[in-house]
Order: sequence, then C-alpha cells, then structure tokens
Amino acid sequence: MNRWTTARITQTQSSSAPSGGQRTQRNKERCRSNTQKKEVEEEGGQGFGKERKETVPRASCQTMCPAQELRERESQNRLHHFEVVPGTEAFRKPSGDPLRAVKEYSRPAAGKDAAKPSDLRLPDVLLRTVCYLIDEIVGSPSPHPWTEVYSFVFDRLRSVKQDMIIQRLSGKDCVAILERTVRFHIYASYRLCGEPLRIYDPRINDTHLQEYLSWLFDCYKTGAGPYPNQEEFQALGLLYNLGSSAATQHVLELPVRLRQTPSVKLALAISQAFLAGNPVRLLRLAQKLDFLQACALHRHLVTCRRHLLLIYSHGFSSRNCRFPLDRLARLSSLEAPLAAGLCRAYGVEVNQHNQVVFSKSAFAEPAQGRLECKLYHGIVSEKERGLAVKSIIHGCS
Amino acid sequence: MAHITINQYLQQINEAIENHEGSFCAELLSFKHPHVANPRLQLASPEEKCQQILEPPYDEMVAAHLRCTYAVANHDFVEAYKFQTLVVQSFLRAFQSHKEENWALHIMFAVTLDLRIFANNAEQQLQKKGKGQPGEMLEKAAEQLMSCFRVCASDNRAGVDDSKKWGMMFLSNQLFKIYFKINKLHLCKPLIRAIDSSNLKNDYSPAQKVTYKYYVGRKAMFDSDFKTAEELLSYAFDHCHRSCQKNKRMILIYLLPVKMLLGHMPTHLLLRKYDLTQFADVTKAVSEGNLLLLNEALSKHETFFIRCGIFLILEKLKIITYRNLFKKVYLLLKTHQLPLDAFLVALRMMQVEDVDIDEVQCLLANLIYMGHIKGYISHQHQKLVVSKQNPFPPLSSVS
Repeated sequence: MNRWTTARITQTQSSSAPSGGQRTQRNKERCRSNTQKKEVEEEGGQGFGKERKETVPRASCQTMCPAQELRERESQNRLHHFEVVPGTEAFRKPSGDPLRAVKEYSRPAAGKDAAKPSDLRLPDVLLRTVCYLIDEIVGSPSPHPWTEVYSFVFDRLRSVKQDMIIQRLSGKDCVAILERTVRFHIYASYRLCGEPLRIYDPRINDTHLQEYLSWLFDCYKTGAGPYPNQEEFQALGLLYNLGSSAATQHVLELPVRLRQTPSVKLALAISQAFLAGNPVRLLRLAQKLDFLQACALHRHLVTCRRHLLLIYSHGFSSRNCRFPLDRLARLSSLEAPLAAGLCRAYGVEVNQHNQVVFSKSAFAEPAQGRLECKLYHGIVSEKERGLAVKSIIHGCS
Repeated sequence: MAHITINQYLQQINEAIENHEGSFCAELLSFKHPHVANPRLQLASPEEKCQQILEPPYDEMVAAHLRCTYAVANHDFVEAYKFQTLVVQSFLRAFQSHKEENWALHIMFAVTLDLRIFANNAEQQLQKKGKGQPGEMLEKAAEQLMSCFRVCASDNRAGVDDSKKWGMMFLSNQLFKIYFKINKLHLCKPLIRAIDSSNLKNDYSPAQKVTYKYYVGRKAMFDSDFKTAEELLSYAFDHCHRSCQKNKRMILIYLLPVKMLLGHMPTHLLLRKYDLTQFADVTKAVSEGNLLLLNEALSKHETFFIRCGIFLILEKLKIITYRNLFKKVYLLLKTHQLPLDAFLVALRMMQVEDVDIDEVQCLLANLIYMGHIKGYISHQHQKLVVSKQNPFPPLSSVS
C-alpha cells in the first residue's frame, strides 16, 4: 500500500525532473503546455521576463505626482500646503508646484482603474519620492508642528506602497524604499509619543509599521541580496516587538552569520533579559543602543520600569527598608527627581531623606493617564544629540 | 486496483455513493490508495466520462480527483493542490445536502488530509523557484478546512449517531497542524472553544484525542500556562500507543521542558529510550544549579531546540537554575542571613558575564516576587534574610 505514497512525498524531486510512469507522448505534451499556460497566468514571481510584463501593470509616470492628479487637485483646491508654490498659500486657489506635489493615497474602489500606467510611478521615481519626503519634509525645519509633517509623510508613503504593490515591485528597489519607511515609522513612534489621540494614534502607526517590517523581512528572505542593512533591521524588528514569541523565534531562526552581528546580538541579549524578568540587565544593555534602536525599544521601557518597581517592592519589602533613591534612579536610567515621580505614580513611598521604602502591599497600578511615558524618555533623547533627522532615516548616522 | 479501467473505477465509486459506503468511497478518493498510480485513470480531461456515470456534484469531485492524480504523477503539486481544492469544494456541496446523515465523514477525512499535504508540497515547490509567499497556500487550505468545520459544527438537527459533529476533532487537528506551521496560533482558539463546549469531546477516538491534546498542550505552553500544558501533554504521552515511538518522542520534546519548569527532572533512562539525550545536560545543569553547564548545553543543541520551538522555554529554566544555585549557597552557609556577596561569588564561579551586586539584588528580588524564595533583601546590611521555615519552597508548589 505504501508504494504509492512516494507520489506524495518526493519533495526532493523538482517538477522539471523527468517523470516516470507509463504515459503516452501526447499526454506529456499536454502536460507541458498546461503547466506553461499556468506559469504565464501566475501572478508575481521573478525572472519570467516577457510573460510577466504581459500581465503585471506597467508604470510610466516620471513625476512624484501624476500630472492628471495634480491638475485635478489644484482645480478642486485639495492641495496640501506642502505642495503649493511658495508664496501662493494664501491665495484662494493656490498653485500646485510640480516639484513639490506628491501623489496621495487613495482607497481602491470598484470602477477605479488603479493600474493606469500614467498614474503609476516608476521604481526609481518612487525612491526619489521617498528621498524627497525625507530630505525636504521630514528633515527640513518647518513652521508647522511635526504632527502635520507626520500625517503628510505617512499618507504619501502609503501611496508609494500602493504603487509598489500594484506593479509587484520586489528586490533592491523595494528594499531601499521599505528600509527608509520603517526607519521613519520607528522614529515617529518615539517623536510623537504622548501626543493626543485625535492627532496621532500609536496603534495606527504600529499597524502600518508591522506591515512594512513583515514585507521587508519577506524581501530579505526571498530576494537574492546582498542586503547590507539587514542586520540593522532584524535588530530593530526584535527591539520594537520585544517580548513577542513570534518575533523572537523569527530572529532565532535567522542564519548564524546574522545572529552573530553586533546589532542582532545586542537585541537578542536585551530580549533575553526581558523574557527572564531582569530589568536591571535590560536597562544596562539598553545604554549601548544607538538612537534609532532606542526609539524602537522605547515603548517597552514602561513595562520594564514597572517590573523593576514591582519585584523590588516584593524583594525589599520590610519595615526597615531604606533603599537609596539615587541608586534606583541609576538602575532605571532616570534622573533622581523623575525616579521619585515614577515611584509616586506606582504608590511606592519615597521618604524625605530620598530613600525608597519598598513594601509589597503598597505597589499599585498608576491611575489612568497619570503615567506619561514621554516624561521618562531621557534614555532615548540623550542619544539624539547632534543627529540630523534626515540622516537617521536615510541610515547614514 | 492498479489496473482497473476508468469505467470500472467510476462504477465502483457510484455504487459506493449509492450504498452510502463512506469508508470504501474514501479509499477510492484517497492518495494513500494504489489506484492513484493507475495510468488508466490519469486522464487529462475526465469530465465527460465522469458526467456519464456520476450525479453532480460527485462528477465534478471525481473529475477533479482524477486530474489531481495526473498532476501528482507529473510531480506538479501546485496543480495537484488546485484540483484538490475543487475536490473539497465539490465534496462540501454534497456533504451539505446530506441531511441527518454522516456516512460521508470518512471521505471528508481523506480529501481534507490530501488537501493539506498538497498545500505543503506545493509551497515547497514554489519556494524552490523563489516564488510565492510562505504560508499562502496553507492559509487558503485552512480556509477550506474551516468551511468544512463550520458545516460539521452547525449540525444541530441530527441524532448523535448521525451527527456530522463527529468530524470536528479530526478537522481541528488538521487545522492545528497548519496554524502551527504558519505560526498563527491565535487562530486555534475558536476551534478549542468549539470542541470544549461540545458534548462529544470525550468520545472521539483515542488517536484523535491524543493528537488534539498534543496541540492544545503546545498552545498552552506558548501561552505560558504550564500547569494546563503539563496535564494535556501528559495525557497525550500516556495514551499515545506504545508502537508510535516517533509520536511519543514528539510529545516528550514538549512535555519535558514543561515538567522541568515544574521541578520534575526526567531520568536518563527515559531520555535514552526516546533518543532525547540533548536534554540530558540541560537536566543535569538545572538540578545542580549549574548555570555554566546550562548555557553550554543550550548552545550546543541550539539548532535542535530552536527548530522544535522550545529554545525560549528552556531559557526560562535559567530562573529555576538560579534558584537551585542560590539554594546551594544557603545550604552551604547554614545561616538565615546571607551576605549578597556570597551569591555574587557563586555567579562569577559560573562565569556569568558582567554581573554585579545590583544584578544580584535584581535576580533575588525576582525570585522572591515569583515565590521561589521566602524572605527579603536588606539593602543596608547587604544581606538576603530568608524565612526560618521552608525558605526555598519545592518547585512544584510554586505556580
């Protein structure tokens, strides 16, 4: 009975290997033409040359914003103030600047032809667009609040992603765009931390960041490479998703060569400390992170510091406990007054001699909204000194 | 079987369907059966012949099955998967029309199993060519299986003997295999809930129950619910038939770390019997509190542990190892007021890198918080003061 299971389990044989069995020549030819037809119809994939271009939408737009869209939005007065000719912002109908207008994101809809070549930007234009957004919008001083910069760039990057998906972009071009996009979103998650929900929603930023990361990792996995920045992004991914079994397992399954790189090694050590419930070691290791890595990690600092106060509340719980505030501050990577503030938020008592009186019954979760992550950002912000946002996102820091 | 004609084959299927012979019909549609290698059945366009002899939707189902045998004979699993999808779809149409009868369950088992297997093979073929997203085909197969599951789960009218609900556990097991492979464990939850609330849950076949508890146990491990994981995996191990050594070994791979976290170390005899000596050094290190040996053992068998997905859980054993090491210090010094320095010396002897008094305090605080040590740290006196009674409670009593 088991003779026939070989038909199923010969995974080692490629489909191009000569197949055995008694079949007529006619059947063989029919089989071959069938599979050829299927390959042409198959979507995606690389290296199919002519057949592929027949089915994948082609791009021909050479400008950051398709001409038709620019005309439409100009006449409907729907240009963003970042896109108008400088000096015309106050006009009733500002003029669109073709050197500053960027194609906006639009929801796919029935009847809307998203694949018109004149609307699809070419790969090098897409990269040029992303660089423009980083250099001129993100990285340039502006009278407008950064939340507006973020909204604009978020939307325009989303449109770049749309163009990439429609034309099935893959490989080096795709990676160059995705890497910058990921850096932008990670930086934003730190920069806009604490902004009111109606202006910036960290969950939305997170959703999109996870998608970009996931796509980037797929590119690394299935592409030919080499990808010199891969170590940086594997480390960023792990730091951003600290504590996630899926993210940790993903990094553990990377080739040894990657796992041994300094960035990934450090990220793994931090991950280990997190999973082992060792906040002292974690915070000590975090000192070694660079600015962007610290941005990726920053949202976990709250959990980490909370855990420190929690276990110390239990471990040092005694009437005579007198734990020096300065020491606690050093362990938490905070200035002493901030450390005292953090203690108060968790119900941990600090006496007038700047000593912490830990008690396991005193520890309590902070009241809603009492704990502002932003206040405790020192460990991240001090790494930013002297760095230009532009170079952080391009990756030249 | 290997030489019957197409007409004979179709007649047999037709008879089986008319006589509600589920098992026999299932064999005729299963790739475990020798008929799939019969070249007389491997037609490129069997639709006409099938329509002549079979009623819809069975004609489509069998035609798709025959096309599938053709594809498999050419080692084209991507094609095979596409046709198997049609088999399952047509089958489901027929299945839904069977009111208050479940004779076709065996057919469902056969065709869904083949669907999952072809999805696996197809993905591997695509990966080799550098095409296709990993997990894409398996996800689609899972959607199909979920459709079948819904048909079974919503069979409220039929009596117990004729209920389609008897198919639920088999399908859950197939879906678990896919979800674990594509790493989407959260999708297991609705299945577990459905089975848990079913009154049939203890009456499925022993083999199905073992597989079910194996996967639910692994899910519990993933959710850090170690007590539940131990119960489920122990059941699976004890009830797994002794002839299925490979399966028993697989269960043990996950049961061992859970048991070790609860303080129960395996004997060397057990490890040798099931060829799991990778755990031997880990076990020794943990029970002796030997961090150095533990790190070496984890490093040495890293690839194996990572591939099985237990590396992260074994890392949790470090906490237990610290506890055992510190207990040794306590037993050595024979006092209830232990200088922190003693622990620092012990850690440095185990070649733990970059450790200082701050970290010693953190480790001890964590152990106290988790209930592994009864006592408190006095910062002023730089001492750990432990309870005079049972300062290191047995591991099994600590959750």
